[in-house]
Amino acid sequence: MSGKVIAGADKAQRSTGTRLVHCWQLSRFTPPTDCKCFMSDTPPSTPPALPPPISVLSLSVTVAMGYVPLGMVFGFLFVQAGAPWWLALAASVFVYAGASQFMMVPMLAASLPVASIALATLVVNLRHMFYGLSLLHKLPKQPWARWYLVFALTDETYSVLTTLPEGTRTGQMVAVALLNQAWWVLGTLLGALIGAQVQISLVGLDFALAALFAVLAVEQWRSSDATAPLWVALLSYGVALTVMPQQALLVAIALSVLAGLFWPKTSPNVAAP
Amino acid sequence: MIDTAYALGALAAMAAVTFGLRALPFLAARFLQRHPLVQRLGRFLPLAIMTLLLTHTLVGSAKGNPVGPWAELAAIATVLALQWWRRQPLRSILVGTGLYVLLRNPALTP
Repeated sequence: MSGKVIAGADKAQRSTGTRLVHCWQLSRFTPPTDCKCFMSDTPPSTPPALPPPISVLSLSVTVAMGYVPLGMVFGFLFVQAGAPWWLALAASVFVYAGASQFMMVPMLAASLPVASIALATLVVNLRHMFYGLSLLHKLPKQPWARWYLVFALTDETYSVLTTLPEGTRTGQMVAVALLNQAWWVLGTLLGALIGAQVQISLVGLDFALAALFAVLAVEQWRSSDATAPLWVALLSYGVALTVMPQQALLVAIALSVLAGLFWPKTSPNVAAP
Repeated sequence: MIDTAYALGALAAMAAVTFGLRALPFLAARFLQRHPLVQRLGRFLPLAIMTLLLTHTLVGSAKGNPVGPWAELAAIATVLALQWWRRQPLRSILVGTGLYVLLRNPALTP
């Protein structure tokens, strides 16, 4: 998804595919087309010089529809795995990265080394590294606002920020990001409180993580200009599983990175809208 | 029970790694924008890594399923199809997870 972002801000803006992907992200449960719809609250005929006011709340509500329920699932799973409710809250306040928070639950329950958890976080969140490149000039200059927005750059918040017109006030950007995180934290708190009251022995609730990865993969595939990364990844995983089953994921990532280094620099159809 | 000090340490590490990744472009913009290898990886890796994470998670689930990977395959096919067709991430995730829980807990089926 972020592949095109790295080539620079203007390219990212040209390529709707890139932005659309983020619309949905973690959760989100807002299909890209919806993003466009709600962007078009502001008629396209409005001159670009005057950014039309966009209600911060309306942008954030679509994110809330994804963040609150998913945050609840996270809080619930974490507490059921044996964590106190406030630890779930701390994760959503200080880590604030959906997929890696889901991923850490079984790892913490199995008492895996902190280094393994950090490495897994690095892999799962690697895509976030490519987000900032398209926002370099858009984020406010004031340090507190800028660094909070960088911290809060989840897939959904990224998609909302790229949707905001040039010249949006700093306060509005920060308000959207803060609201989005508030939804996630609220969901986590609700889920953790419920999880602390109930004892449910259902197998398979943690399949939510696999489903989340599947959704992300579909959206990445949709915005990708080639399917080779998909096949390379499957092949790498097959090889890694045969050669080093204990470290299959790491070996497969290494193989994919190697393949990616030889990937052609420019793609034939990037300019297609 | 999850040990509190250990969990806090893990959370601190995760917070640092996540923030580092999100902040890197703002600290090393020039290098990242100019380096062709970074650009290639930026186009190649997101889909590849997401595919790997999905495959790895599925393989992990399937290993814990004594009757074979049918529940995993059915549920993930549902998620992929729903997401491809309707593009509503929350719905795709909830329906897929619900189906998987149903398939894995025979007590739930009448």
